[in-house]
Amino acid sequence: MSTITIALPSKGRMKEDASAIFERAGLPIVAVGNERSYRGKVEGHDDIEIAFLSASEIAREIGAGTVDFGVTGEDLIREGLIDADAKMEVAARLGFGHADVVVAVPEIWLDVDTMADLGDVAADFRSRHGRRLQIATKYWRLTQQHFSGSHGIQLYRIVESLGATEGAPAAGQADIIVDITSTGSTLKANNLKILSDGVILKSEACLVRARKAEHEGDARIAAIVEAVRKAV
Amino acid sequence: MPLINMPEFSGTLLDEFAARGTARIDTPVIQPAAPFLDMAGEDLRRRIFLTESETGESLCLRPEFTIPVCLRHIENATGTPRRYCYLGEVFRQRREGDNEFYQAGIEDLGETATANADARAVNDAMQILHNLIPGRKLNVTLGDQAVFEAVVRALGLPGGWQKRLIQSFGNNAHLRHLLMTLASPQAETGLSPELAALLNQDEAALIAHIDRTMQETGYSTNASRSPREIAARLKEKQSLAQTRLDGSALVLLTEFLSLELPLSQAPAALAGFADAAGLAMGAALVAFEARAAALADLGVDLDKVTYRAAFGRPLDYYTGLVFEVSRDNAVLAGGGRFDRLMTLLGAAEDIPAVGFSLWLDRIEQARAR
Repeated sequence: MSTITIALPSKGRMKEDASAIFERAGLPIVAVGNERSYRGKVEGHDDIEIAFLSASEIAREIGAGTVDFGVTGEDLIREGLIDADAKMEVAARLGFGHADVVVAVPEIWLDVDTMADLGDVAADFRSRHGRRLQIATKYWRLTQQHFSGSHGIQLYRIVESLGATEGAPAAGQADIIVDITSTGSTLKANNLKILSDGVILKSEACLVRARKAEHEGDARIAAIVEAVRKAV
Repeated sequence: MPLINMPEFSGTLLDEFAARGTARIDTPVIQPAAPFLDMAGEDLRRRIFLTESETGESLCLRPEFTIPVCLRHIENATGTPRRYCYLGEVFRQRREGDNEFYQAGIEDLGETATANADARAVNDAMQILHNLIPGRKLNVTLGDQAVFEAVVRALGLPGGWQKRLIQSFGNNAHLRHLLMTLASPQAETGLSPELAALLNQDEAALIAHIDRTMQETGYSTNASRSPREIAARLKEKQSLAQTRLDGSALVLLTEFLSLELPLSQAPAALAGFADAAGLAMGAALVAFEARAAALADLGVDLDKVTYRAAFGRPLDYYTGLVFEVSRDNAVLAGGGRFDRLMTLLGAAEDIPAVGFSLWLDRIEQARAR
């Protein structure tokens, strides 16, 4: 019988929370070798293998089908995979790692509350400032889908930002941001506000299954999903 | 299979271009990506082949010719008017069709007799296609951004709404959505009562308030939008929120957008529409009629050209004519007037521009059939 591979976050709160869920699901995870090993197994299930990976790699491996399951944020899945829904299925929402991907603008932009407002500002931006409106983000795909796809806004440029994105408008690196927030306190501290229709994705940690033909009729796959769902 | 060699009719095509007094221009296959993304928007990013130089500059494989040709013209500073032609490979990520294919076309830069230049572009595209695909029926569709803009302006909507509608011309789903919003009541601006009062009574105080807040929050050093700009748009937004398109204006706009008829009848139909609606669309209609007349002078049968009022391209550098020549639903040539592009790309003065490009892979398929 083939081995089932589950990819779990390799560090931090996500790792602990994911392990706790699997424990409650009756699938206790132990590291192979020492505590810091990146391989693990499930006690009493020799046919399940655990791969500890960084959260963004989990999205990639799910997309490539090299693992069967993964636990990671929905934001990373949707950002990392083209046609995400064709490649994976969200098997369970795990109730931790809550974070929203949002469009945030300087609080003092009193005239901008909605995406439509932002569209107006973006349309005029070049003639007023000699350049397009700049958005700092690490979420290229989600930003494009939300701006171009859902709101017909084309006239902006993405500036890649890999960290401290909330500081970009004050630092002059960009005009607005698309970033992840859980409580909104970092946005507030940086004098940014979320647009009323600016929530792109309400994300949380998910158990995702790679859509693979061999999963059809494999009772072990269904059993894992069932057990995790009950443990949430 | 990707087109590895030039299409076999390339020589004929270059002769056609030469006979029309154009100078062939070549541009590098590897181009800086910024001008394409700046002009066409971030959406293009998914559709081009991007890479990065060692120094971090974004580069892409040439996705089209118009921007590189215009940049080359600005760089060479050879003066206008100039007519350029090109023929070469372009690279795009496409769901259907190959990722690399040939395009050829003409860019006519700096010709101030715009009606004649428009007509020449349409006629050149039609003639060349007729010569390449003899005896087949081609569908020619023509639209005009300027006529739509004239209708919107004549309706007397606030400036903000005009801009929104004009911006979305060519994107019919978005345009419909805007018209629906215009027809139904608007939400309020969401300002606190204090600020709303300032907005209505004391704009200078409002600007001072915004300025003070920017200073206090340390935002002002790098603020892209000034207090004045924000206050001005608040005013505009207030008038937007209070605007409802009355029923008759909405009917007019919808009626206009549904116009589709032979070009031979279009000037009269547009004039009739403007009269019946009581809209002053003078200059745009004169230019439209002049273009139609220039096309007729070149021997184009205006009964065989379709004018479709809703036909446009949602890119902010297109300013007037847009057209397409197609066969069996495959677009073989597309073109238009882009008077705003040259200055956007850095030209020191306004340069009127019109051009078209031919999809050689589709032409090859049409020839084979």
